[in-house]
Amino acid sequence: MAKILGIDLGTTFSATAIIENNEPKIIENREGTRTTPSVVALTKNNERLVGVTAKRQQITNPQNTISSIKRLLGRRFSDKEIQNDKKLLPYEFKEASDGGVEVKMGDKWHKPAEISAMILQKLKQDAEEKIGEKITQAVITCPAYFDDSQRKATKIAGEIAGLDVKMVLNEPTAAALTYGLTKTKGQQILVYDFGGGTFDVSILDVTKDPDTVEVIGVGGDTHLGGDDFDQKIMNWIIEEFKKDQGIDLSKDQLALQRVKESAEKAKIELSTTLETEINIPFVTSDSSGPKHLFFKLSRAQFQDLVKEYIEKSIKLVEETLKGAKLKPKDIEEIVLVGGQTRTPAIQEAVKNLFGKETNKSINPDEVVAMGAAIQAGIMGGDAKEVLLLDATPLSLGIETLGSVNTVLIPKNTIYPVNKTQIFSTAAEGQTSVEVHVLQGERPMASDNKTLGRFMLDGIPLAPRGVPQIEVSFDVDSNGILNVSAKDKATGKSQSIRVEGSIGMSKDEIEKMKQEAQIHEQEDKKKKELIEAKNLADNLIYSWEKTSKDAGDKIDENLKKQVEEKIDELKKVKDKDNIEELKSKTNDLSQIIQKAGAELYKKTKDDKDTEEGEYKKK
Amino acid sequence: MDKKKKKDEYLENWKRERASFLNYKREEGERIDKVIKFANQSLILEILNILDNIYIAEEKLPKDLEENEWVKGILNTKNQILEFLKNQRVEQIDCLKKEFDPNFHEAVEMVESNSKSGIIIKEIKKGYILNGRVIRPAKVKIAK
Repeated sequence: MAKILGIDLGTTFSATAIIENNEPKIIENREGTRTTPSVVALTKNNERLVGVTAKRQQITNPQNTISSIKRLLGRRFSDKEIQNDKKLLPYEFKEASDGGVEVKMGDKWHKPAEISAMILQKLKQDAEEKIGEKITQAVITCPAYFDDSQRKATKIAGEIAGLDVKMVLNEPTAAALTYGLTKTKGQQILVYDFGGGTFDVSILDVTKDPDTVEVIGVGGDTHLGGDDFDQKIMNWIIEEFKKDQGIDLSKDQLALQRVKESAEKAKIELSTTLETEINIPFVTSDSSGPKHLFFKLSRAQFQDLVKEYIEKSIKLVEETLKGAKLKPKDIEEIVLVGGQTRTPAIQEAVKNLFGKETNKSINPDEVVAMGAAIQAGIMGGDAKEVLLLDATPLSLGIETLGSVNTVLIPKNTIYPVNKTQIFSTAAEGQTSVEVHVLQGERPMASDNKTLGRFMLDGIPLAPRGVPQIEVSFDVDSNGILNVSAKDKATGKSQSIRVEGSIGMSKDEIEKMKQEAQIHEQEDKKKKELIEAKNLADNLIYSWEKTSKDAGDKIDENLKKQVEEKIDELKKVKDKDNIEELKSKTNDLSQIIQKAGAELYKKTKDDKDTEEGEYKKK
Repeated sequence: MDKKKKKDEYLENWKRERASFLNYKREEGERIDKVIKFANQSLILEILNILDNIYIAEEKLPKDLEENEWVKGILNTKNQILEFLKNQRVEQIDCLKKEFDPNFHEAVEMVESNSKSGIIIKEIKKGYILNGRVIRPAKVKIAK
């Protein structure tokens, strides 16, 4: 069946996605990037450019380079917004005969839908090239506040580009679709979309029916965006440099360019680090020689710089809630969209307002296009015959030596699934093992949930580590876990069936995951200590075995030295000092190696003698 | 009959699932090949930022220091970086006196000049190509 393209036609950037193997996938454009600037230009040679190439020549050709066309799409010339935008946009536009808007590019006047169509056409062609199929149908997204005329214009743009527009989908709904939030009836979802140039808030309601999404509130600011953040950092750098060196960089085009790049970089870095360096060597020079720019900018400083914008956005969210007669507690899910939501301060502010975690795991620049693809998939029937497979919410494992939780099936494994691993005994002559089935993320067995336990006995007498016990975990398509253990020598086996274990409540799963996170550090230490103890134990055991087997082949003196080290190790073994334990284990290991080397040499000598004797006969 | 139909349907679905998995594996392999080809891209872009500063230092070097052996030694490290980039199949984009082409160049300013309109008269930041893909356009000033 022909593929339907999902298109996020944005004000500054656009993106496309398609369903592949039942998953939405972003399509890279011809230039190899995942988003395309929504810019169209006509060069002096009458060549039409769309995307990044159009953007690159904008300065040389501002009158014939059309950006932010979405602001004009489907508008009437008399609209207040249009009059405001007229001052900001560098290209010419006028009132069309039907009261709409027309923009001038080259010698011709175009309707905004025609310009949008040029962008859509490029997106279509690039996608066709990428997937090697002709594309004739699409789902295009638009802001929730778009009126009929704007939606119609979006549809017309698609048609001009040669696309049968199956649906004009709300951007917030698309984002909610990507997070799978529209399946649950009775939810109210707030979508917080902080893009490069615009800020939108939408409240969605899924109370009537699952999959029926109603927009019950919209708000925002069409001139608030991430670009304001960049500008703030730039101004800060310029101010600091002025204070420091008394030189105004804002007059120097070249320096300004470098400051701009550094500001963008700093903003991105501060999303993941607490402090960044702004380092621009040779930024300018005066009579005394070259000047370098070097400042540190902390995340706290940055947050202080952009505080007003974040507060403004939160105020707009509150207003939108009020307009919909809702309180923050009425919102079940919050979705973050737009590149600027990568800023930790924004994530914090939204979280604080609602007192709960937000949905932010999917790339916020791509989440809308992916939602459009999902909608396209539903309409094209791609999703109809999909086998819905679930994933294990938490890890499944068994308890092993030292009360450690050994995971067999990690969390987020799609089932049905089967995993098998060989274990052995921990003690000499152990004839039975207990299989203790665990669920959870904590490394120590006792901190996890017990799903069941059983004994496997009748294991033949053998030294520790010799018997082979095959433990197999099987989660069937209904999420039922079967655990079996089999002694490979005798073929004897035991098993247990755990029903309803996979499908825990969301709250319970969240709680366990959070606990694992909180205790991560101490758990790691505990596990390390146990592993060190196990290692010490093993070393002592293997020595005892070797020395018994070797008999008098090991020098008494050396033997005594080893025994001494073993005593020392035994003394620290039950204390919880990992450093001491490790160093004593290391001491013992070294001397055992020495003994081992000697033993090996002796055995070889003996052999030589034996052979010699044999020859004599 | 109904059972047979069901059986066939299941078998068909199973085959489809199997086929789609194998196709996915192949596609994923192709994707990984491509990823490897451009895996160094972000790393190289970071190095280019550092190289930019060395170029600027060189450009601003006072005349009387040009023959200084210390300076020469330091600038030799620039050549090492260039050699490294060459081995990584990174090419520099030619700019000066060429006609502006947005496929390779990004205009930052237009200035009055004796040159023909649209000709690049100054390169502000070098552009680079990796494996045939422009990973960074050259930032240029062009004649009005």
